[in-house]
Amino acid sequence: MLLVGFWWLISATGAVSDSTLVSPQQLAARFAVLWEKGYQNVPLVQQIGASMLRTLAGFLAAACAGVPLGLLMGMSSSARWILSPMLALLRPIPAIAFIPLFIIWFGIGEFSKVLVIFLSSFLYITITTEAAVYSVPVGWQRVALNMGASRTDLFRRVIFPASLPGIITGLRIGLALSWALVVAAELIGAQRGLGYMIMDASVFFRVEDVYIGIICIGVIGLALNGVLSLIEARLCHWRGR
Amino acid sequence: MSLERAVTMSAVPRPSSQDGAENVSFNGVERLFRVSDDSAEVAGLGRIDLDISKGEIFCLVGPSGCGKTTLLNILAGFDHPTAGTVHVGSDLVTAPSPDRIVVFQEPLVFPWLTVMENIAFGPSIRGVPKSRINADAREFVEAIGLRGFERSYPYQLSGGMRQRVALARALINRPRALLMDEPFSALDAQTKQQMQQLFLDVWLTHRTTTLFITHDVEEAIFLADRVGVMLGRPGRIAGTFDVPLRRPRDVRTTTTAPFVELKAKILSLLWKEPLPK
Repeated sequence: MLLVGFWWLISATGAVSDSTLVSPQQLAARFAVLWEKGYQNVPLVQQIGASMLRTLAGFLAAACAGVPLGLLMGMSSSARWILSPMLALLRPIPAIAFIPLFIIWFGIGEFSKVLVIFLSSFLYITITTEAAVYSVPVGWQRVALNMGASRTDLFRRVIFPASLPGIITGLRIGLALSWALVVAAELIGAQRGLGYMIMDASVFFRVEDVYIGIICIGVIGLALNGVLSLIEARLCHWRGR
Repeated sequence: MSLERAVTMSAVPRPSSQDGAENVSFNGVERLFRVSDDSAEVAGLGRIDLDISKGEIFCLVGPSGCGKTTLLNILAGFDHPTAGTVHVGSDLVTAPSPDRIVVFQEPLVFPWLTVMENIAFGPSIRGVPKSRINADAREFVEAIGLRGFERSYPYQLSGGMRQRVALARALINRPRALLMDEPFSALDAQTKQQMQQLFLDVWLTHRTTTLFITHDVEEAIFLADRVGVMLGRPGRIAGTFDVPLRRPRDVRTTTTAPFVELKAKILSLLWKEPLPK
C-alpha cells in the first residue's frame, strides 16, 4: 500500500517521465482493458492460465521425479555416489542455456517450454530432498532400530516424517523457481502466456502491458507460495511454529 | 554412525519372554579404536568383566571420555567389542534389539507423534494389536504422570516431560535390560531430582535389570543397588560398591550417614584419576 502511494506520488509530480514510470491510474485502466478485451485478443485470464499450466506441469513433473530421487540419494550411498556428480554438473548451468538445444531437439512446442521449467526446479528439489534426508538426526534412527524397526519402518516412520519440513521447503522454492522461469520458457516461440505478453509488449513499447505482466507474475507467485505455506503448516504443525 | 551402517544393523525380533528381567554379563570385553587411519590402535575399553544381576540397578560413574558410553553401546548392540562377549540371559548380544532398550541423554522423542503415539512406537512397529497397545500405553502415561497430555505434541512439553515420555517409550517394550545413558544430565537440578524419584517409582513395579550411566555420584548412589567406578585410558572398572540403602528411597535418603560415607569412598577412588590434559 505504502509502495503504491509512493509510486503514485512520484508519477503525479512528474519527477519521472510517463514512458519510464507509468502512473497507477493508467495501469488500472489498462488492466481493465486487458482483462476484458485481452492482449492481442487473448484475455488476460487466458494469458495467466497458459503460464500457470506450463509452470504447474513442469513443477509437478519435477516434484514427482525429484522427491523420490532425492529420497533415494539420501537413503543409499551408492545412489548418491552415482547421481551426485551428474547433478553437480548440471546444477551450475542455468536452464535458459538449454533453450537453444531444446529447440533443436524438441522444436518450439509446449514440451520444450515445460522441460525448461522442469529442469530448473527438478535439480533444486532433488538436492534439497537429499539434504533433508541426510540431515535426519542419527539419534531418532537409533531409537527406531533399537525398537525393532525394519528398513521400511525406518523410512516410513522416521526418515520420511523427519525430512518432510525440508522437502516442503525445497518444493516451495522449486515452485517459485518454476514460476520465475516461465518468462524465460516463453521465449521459445510462445503465442500465449504472461512471459510472451511481456516480451511482445516490450518489443512494441507497450510499457503499461509490461508492467501489468510483471505485477501479475509477482502477485501470482506470492499466492502460489501462500498455498504451499498452508500445506506446510498443515503437514508440519508438530514443529509448533 | 552413517545411515547405511544404522540400517544394516537389523533388529532381531524379540523372543516372547514375559516381563522378564535378565542378568547381563560382560566377559573380557575389549574395544580398540583407531583415532585416524594410520595411527596405532587405542584401547577404549580394557578387559571388562562385569555381571549385573537380574533385577538390579547397576550405576556406572566415571569422568567423561572414560568409555562408559562405549560399554553401554556394546550392550545395546550399536557398537561391537574387538574381543570378548556380552550376554543377556543366555543370549549373545550381536545387534540392537527391543530386548535391550536405550534411553539417551536427549529425549529423542519423535516431534511428529503425540505423547501416546510416541509411547506406542515400539509395539506398533512390531505389529502388536492396537487394543493391547492402547491399554498398555495408557498405563504408562499414568505411570509417568502425563495424564491429560496423551494428545500433546513434544513441542508442547517441557524437557523433563519429554524425557518421561522417552522412559515410558522404552519401558513399554518390557525389555530384559534397560540401558540409561546419562538420561537426566541435561535437566535442571530440581527436575533431575524429580526424574530420579519417578524413575525409581516406575522401576519398582517392573524391576527391569538396569545399566545406568552417569557422571553424577549422588545420582548413582541414590538409584543403584551397586555402583561401579569407571576410569579411563584404557576404560576399566576400578571398583564396585554395594549400596546399603533400603528401598523405597526418597530425598531424605541422600542425607543419611551411609549415603554420605559411600559418596566419600567413591569420590576418593574417582579423584585418584589424574585430570585429562
